[in-house]
Amino acid sequence: MKKKYVDNRNLYERIVPIPSLLLLFLIFLFPLFSTLSKAFIVDNKFTFLPFINLLSDSYTHRILLFTINQAFFSTLLSLIIALPGAYLLINYQIKGRKLILAICTIPFVLPAILVILGFVTFYGNNGFLNILLMKLFNLENPPLKILYSYKAIIIAHAFYNFPIILVLVTTYWENLDYKLELSSFVFGASKAQTFIYITLPRLILSIISSSLLVFLFCFTSFSIILVLGGGPKFTTMEVEIYRRARISMDLNTASSYAIISILFCIIILILYNIFQRKTTTKENAYKSLYKKEKKPVSKIGLILSLIYTIFVVLFVLSPIISIIVKSFLASNTRSEQSIFTLKWYKQLFGITSTTGVMKTSFISIINSLKIALSVALLSTPLSLSLAVASKRDKSTTSLFIELLSMLPLAVSSVIIGLGYYLIAAKIQNTGGLILVILAHLVIVLPFNIRAITPEIRKIPPSLKNSAMTLGASGFRAFLNIEVPLLKSALISGAIFAFAISMGEVNATLILSSSSIITIPVTMYRLIGSYNFGGACALGTILIIVCSIVFISSEYLKKDNTLYI
Amino acid sequence: MKKFLFIVVAFVATTSNLFASGAKEESIDVSSNEITVYAYDAFCGDWGPGQKVVEAFETKTGIKVDLVSAGDAIEMLTKAELEKSNPQADVIIGISNDMAMKAYNSDLFDTYNSPALKDIPNFLKFDKQNRLLPFDYGNFAFVYDSEKLSEKDLPKSLNDLTNSKFKDKVLLIDPRTSSVGLGLLIWTRELYGDDYLTWWENMSDSALTITEGWSSAYGMFSAGEAPITLSYTTSPVYHVMYEDSTRYKAIIFEEGHSATIEGVGILKSSNKKDLAKEFVDFLLTDAQVDIASANSMYPTNSNTKLPSAFDWAPKPNVTLSLEASDIEDNLDIWLDDWTKVMSK
Repeated sequence: MKKKYVDNRNLYERIVPIPSLLLLFLIFLFPLFSTLSKAFIVDNKFTFLPFINLLSDSYTHRILLFTINQAFFSTLLSLIIALPGAYLLINYQIKGRKLILAICTIPFVLPAILVILGFVTFYGNNGFLNILLMKLFNLENPPLKILYSYKAIIIAHAFYNFPIILVLVTTYWENLDYKLELSSFVFGASKAQTFIYITLPRLILSIISSSLLVFLFCFTSFSIILVLGGGPKFTTMEVEIYRRARISMDLNTASSYAIISILFCIIILILYNIFQRKTTTKENAYKSLYKKEKKPVSKIGLILSLIYTIFVVLFVLSPIISIIVKSFLASNTRSEQSIFTLKWYKQLFGITSTTGVMKTSFISIINSLKIALSVALLSTPLSLSLAVASKRDKSTTSLFIELLSMLPLAVSSVIIGLGYYLIAAKIQNTGGLILVILAHLVIVLPFNIRAITPEIRKIPPSLKNSAMTLGASGFRAFLNIEVPLLKSALISGAIFAFAISMGEVNATLILSSSSIITIPVTMYRLIGSYNFGGACALGTILIIVCSIVFISSEYLKKDNTLYI
Repeated sequence: MKKFLFIVVAFVATTSNLFASGAKEESIDVSSNEITVYAYDAFCGDWGPGQKVVEAFETKTGIKVDLVSAGDAIEMLTKAELEKSNPQADVIIGISNDMAMKAYNSDLFDTYNSPALKDIPNFLKFDKQNRLLPFDYGNFAFVYDSEKLSEKDLPKSLNDLTNSKFKDKVLLIDPRTSSVGLGLLIWTRELYGDDYLTWWENMSDSALTITEGWSSAYGMFSAGEAPITLSYTTSPVYHVMYEDSTRYKAIIFEEGHSATIEGVGILKSSNKKDLAKEFVDFLLTDAQVDIASANSMYPTNSNTKLPSAFDWAPKPNVTLSLEASDIEDNLDIWLDDWTKVMSK
């Protein structure tokens, strides 16, 4: 006899994802499909031929393999850097804990060009590191040759992405019930055994979930690979898509490449989904009395966390500080010597007259804040609604929702950009700001959802059911029981949304026909008009604004623990 | 519950604020005395010549101009083609000679034999049918840091750059992702014909890296990462203007430089052609100084008097060019071959 499937979803669980799905459809799927359909249309005729030709081309295989290769190793290095950090942050009471988490999120807001310039000013031939080493050891030539190689790509990607894993895994780990570990100790297992057999298997879901984000992020990476890799030797799918779409205006081939990329990403997402269903464990989301005590700083803990902190500071902060330092330096007209100056800031805020930059930079800061805050505020309930919909449901709908919400990560920004033209051309002059916010929402959804889903899976249905037995409506129970339990995950997600929105350039430029200037847009313009110092100064302002937001959000996370 | 209410109120307040400001932007008045002009982003931006030129034109003629910032050349063409059924623009500014064939093929532009053309040298008139009229041009060049490279060490030709003394000293730009990179590819075609790839192969030691765009290359150059970069002959002007520095200079090769010539065209679909023509004439005469200064390009009208900062932008004696049809027919083949050779 077929087992009768009991649909235990409530009405609200079916209704809540609708706005998000509608948004995904309008701002993402519609423009995407209208662009991708070009892959199968040659001279107004429908054909699979060019697509199949491309699929069997050895050059395509080569770049696809390289794209996968670099994304895989970048993810691996990100994991190697992030996991020890998560371990230390969980096990020891580290003083600068909040600060470390906040610092780690900074790379995320930096537009690629600033990351590249930060890397070059720190690790480059004429970078701070090499100059220091040359002075220390009296060398003629720069001793460190890190850049312009395969390893530079991997390092830069890790710099950009290990924070995703660190923040997501730490948030998840913090809310794990420590009871199981305690029982394990009672049965005589050692610390190491307990970690390997009890803790790790429960963490694996959030580790893989966040790694997946990093993988897809690296998969579509573009300028970092070309510039820091050293040239066309390292060509990824994204470069080919860009070339076909923008230089050759060959939308047919561009779309075919994009479809190959998307198919590949979909396969990965499906594998992940299957895996995740096999390993789903029911964790207790409410903090039990057996919440793990954080050890006061023991000697080993102190040394280890000191080493890690120094490492994070060196690795994450050095390119960032390079940018900040550059923003206060100007070279003396006829000599190599650089001197301290406020010149760039004065230019930026119109104290020294240049062009109408003052107005621009002030407006861009306000615009960026306005957009990023709205995106953070709006995306969190949207992501929550999608996470709820895919929660305990084993139907294909949940797989579909999961795929759909991750897809924006897998699609090249060039392709979706072309689609945006379509929207922008159709809806002429309708408030660019709203379109930009909607596009940013789609871009941040995958990150926001990855922050929430692993947590929401931990909540046992019994918790809500008891609330409902006591007379609460489904929605009320969700709001008063589930949402408070998700607090720190929601905040983590919102921070990512804020950070990504602050750094976004492409969609902003296209959808607002450049009528809306944000900090990164102005930064690109400054670099475009040879004002590199000014760009660094504005970058510094971006870094400061974000640091303030991140640090205050870490304080917001502070427990209002539910003891049950 | 209070908390929840508070969140809802805060939420509504933020979003309604957004939608309100969105609604304000919608009001546009359409007058018969107004033309719509598409231009690339940099032209319209705060640093571009757009606003100044439009203001001057409006004061002089009383014709209103709605200047729309519409991406780059390809994006403008795509936009105009998508709007064919419902045309918006009368004039498009900024289709360069290397993209010209795409503009001709789109059949969007109408011929206009402007009286101002008599003051423009022939080598700049890339469209013999005058659908696209040249309003400014720039030469690609290598720019060097005079603190790191003495004048006697300078390369005298493209070929000199392949010399081992420039090992890891030159920043190049990828022609697959950048118009400046594409400019260099075409430059090597103009000089070496079918042998152009030999130069690129020989450059592999001299090139520190091949960046994806001009911004990265010039940013790295400014940071002192390499003493030579691909850019424009006019790049030094900016350092004079912003930094009061003459440290960065352009290298002039006797064999000649490739050029990018920017054109303006009137759309066939325009129903205000007379006003559009007046605007184009204005661009080719009165607006030349403003455009040249803001774009850091050379004016096409030979009667134009340039500001003194332009003394730092040496004009090459020879400007090379290829037929637009040659570029259109072969560019993809060149790029494919280039990719094959360079990705070895």
